[in-house]
Amino acid sequence: MIRWGTLTVRQGAGRIILLTLLLFSSEGFSSTERIGLVKTLEPSATIVRKGVEVSLKVGSEIYEGDTILTDSDGTIGITFSDGSMLTAGSSSKVIIDNYLFNLTEKKLTFLSQVLKGSVTFMSGAINKLAPGSVRFKTPTATLGLRGTKIIIEVD
Amino acid sequence: MNSQRFMIIPFISFLAACTSTTVVLLPDSDGNVGQVEMITDSGTTVLNKAYESSEAEKQKLSSTPNVLLSKEIVRDKYGDILAKEPLIPEHFKFYFKTGKADLQAEAQEMLLKSKARIEERKSCDLSVIGHTDRVENDDLNYLLSMVRAANVAKALVDLGIPLNCMDIRYYGESYPVIPTLDDVAEPLNRRVEIEIR
Repeated sequence: MIRWGTLTVRQGAGRIILLTLLLFSSEGFSSTERIGLVKTLEPSATIVRKGVEVSLKVGSEIYEGDTILTDSDGTIGITFSDGSMLTAGSSSKVIIDNYLFNLTEKKLTFLSQVLKGSVTFMSGAINKLAPGSVRFKTPTATLGLRGTKIIIEVD
Repeated sequence: MNSQRFMIIPFISFLAACTSTTVVLLPDSDGNVGQVEMITDSGTTVLNKAYESSEAEKQKLSSTPNVLLSKEIVRDKYGDILAKEPLIPEHFKFYFKTGKADLQAEAQEMLLKSKARIEERKSCDLSVIGHTDRVENDDLNYLLSMVRAANVAKALVDLGIPLNCMDIRYYGESYPVIPTLDDVAEPLNRRVEIEIR
């Protein structure tokens, strides 16, 4: 339910006039909130969510904990709610372990694993506001990002 | 069955020994180059130049020096995946008078530009994000940022952008573009940003 209104503040003596207050329901920041959307997909890709494999399409929602899988000719591009972008190439396995984008409580984390295949990642607001909080783990390395864009390839 | 298992185990350990990670640092869409810290069994290396690359192999005790690749080599090697990246998010900003949440006259042109981009990108993934400067107190600014964001969101809805394609966020004075002391008026901080993803 949304009611629109305007608010006017008179400054100076510190007196405040509230003309109309606006009410709308806030979505809140629960852990079940989607963290990203599939933007590009060729020809197909799947995710494993809570043990169940689901095929994706452009516009599909991505949640924390999802394992993203592509086959030998697949690619998938995801844009996250902080504006960061992750693209996975063929034969890839990527797990989004921990994603927190809560500016009100200043909780910012983005931890993922690239277990195989190739990935490009471009930083978004999480990295901009909390440099070093975006991390990728691979079978042989841990990567900490500060701004920028990277390619990760796991052979 | 037992004899088959004997065959599989050495094969798996061979694969694990060959695992390697290659990282390439690229400039972002604005041309900025940040840095990546790579921690491996053999130590920590930092990449901070455009097209700098490093490799980490399993159980390798000495670190391999970083390599500087060229834009062309990166394009040849990773062109396929780079071509499949999503469109870069776009941002539009709206500014407000001190203590006010109503849209200024020049907002209309920006709204129409935003609508055009939303439609061209076929995006149903927007954020409308409200902010204030540091005049007045935190609580009031939080409310003010909410109403500013709501007014921009409503203007988009009035232009035909579906409400279910946007989320509305508001942060009061917490995230200035230009940090100031308290009670300082700063026009560039009194803003609503539309992010089109």
